[in-house]
Amino acid sequence: MNSRVAQIDTGAGVSFIVSAVIHLAVFLLLAWWGQQFPQQMTIQETYYVDVVNMPANAPQSGGSTQKPGESAAVPPTPVAAPVMAIPSKVKAVPKITAKSSRPAAPDESAVTESAFAERLTRLESSSEARREEAILEKIRNKVKSANLSKAGAQGAAGVEAGSRYADYIKSRLEDALKVTSSYRSKRPEVAVRLTIAADGKLSRMKIERSSGDATFELAVRRAIDLASEKFTVPPNHAVFENGFIFKPEGISNGPSR
Amino acid sequence: MAIILGAGIVVKLVLLLLLSFSIVSWAIILFKFFQVQRAKNESERFMDFFWKSKRFDSIASQVERFANSPLTVLFNEGYSELKKVVDSDSKSDGSALSTDLGGVENVSRALRRATNSEITRLEKYLTFLATTGSTSPFIGLFGTVWGIMTAFEGIGKTGSASLAVVAPGIAEALIATAIGLVAAIPAVMAYNHFQHKLRVLINEMDSFSTEFLNIVQRNIAGK
Repeated sequence: MNSRVAQIDTGAGVSFIVSAVIHLAVFLLLAWWGQQFPQQMTIQETYYVDVVNMPANAPQSGGSTQKPGESAAVPPTPVAAPVMAIPSKVKAVPKITAKSSRPAAPDESAVTESAFAERLTRLESSSEARREEAILEKIRNKVKSANLSKAGAQGAAGVEAGSRYADYIKSRLEDALKVTSSYRSKRPEVAVRLTIAADGKLSRMKIERSSGDATFELAVRRAIDLASEKFTVPPNHAVFENGFIFKPEGISNGPSR
Repeated sequence: MAIILGAGIVVKLVLLLLLSFSIVSWAIILFKFFQVQRAKNESERFMDFFWKSKRFDSIASQVERFANSPLTVLFNEGYSELKKVVDSDSKSDGSALSTDLGGVENVSRALRRATNSEITRLEKYLTFLATTGSTSPFIGLFGTVWGIMTAFEGIGKTGSASLAVVAPGIAEALIATAIGLVAAIPAVMAYNHFQHKLRVLINEMDSFSTEFLNIVQRNIAGK
């Protein structure tokens, strides 16, 4: 009996060692496999194409997303054509809607139908008006910047370049806000003044005005945090400061001081 | 490999625990496999030898050849008990009937005891396989839950829920469950396999002890 017990014990020890060796072998095989065929796990960085920045009237001054070497490749587009074309198109829009929508309501004979139609047209026109307002504001900004650059205030205060840079920052913020956006109240609005230092880092952030929706405020803060990782250096290495008005549907440039 | 080295301390500990479970359970699987295999083969050979030979003492002299069979242990125990009974019987030369019955009873008890001790020996370590099979998925799951907790903490700190932030943490968490399953599946399979083999061996032992008792009773009754 004693001899057999001893035999069993050595058998157990041997199988333990064999098991450990097998595990080690499998581990080494996996390690070797991982080294031989490493997994390709690269995360594609988002590439931003700035629509605002692309038709730069003076690429050498404005396009902050362009690298210095690339500026020559951008063909110098005429200044007047794109700026002038858009307002004329937009101005035509309200005329058409006004003509088509207003006469439609009185033509209806039934009272309820006419009331409904009237309400619908009112809603439509109000939304239309808001959209137009946004477009007009955009265009106004553009015209302003175009005028300023035409006026030849070349690098006086970095104004004309700054406005482009502001658009660039705005689009970064809009991208970030799409990720973080959340709000409780119906029409939240937060006005923020951002200061970006010469090295492209966000140096100051001040909420100037808020509609009081804490959730949206938090979303805006997080969007700014998220976007600030991707800010580039302001043009002419000047400190950049601008106000932005955050709304769930987008961001508009606030009053620049 | 980097996924394991990059994991948190709790996940690492869980992985280490699972690795040791796996090593030990595979050691038991190998050990039990050879033990059961030897027991089965030598039992077969012993049964052949047992039925061919005419006398118990000639079997007892050659029983060392089948040291790994549980039947050999049964035979040894039964034979030594029988010898004691016969010795005391010839010494006291008392009333034959009472000692005969008592002698068979004694042998039967000795066989039952030997059967039990052999079952215990063969079942030894099998509980560890059952434990590994049932607990290591849960241990792995614990590692995963912990890893995901820390991953979410990281998300909360960075404030962004992009896939690049979330994915590595969850991947390194999920590896704990994977290793848990890798440890558990062979253990459960081996446990069921050995349970079946053991049942066969136990049946063999039972039938052998009945046969042995039959022979003893026949011989004593025919004496």
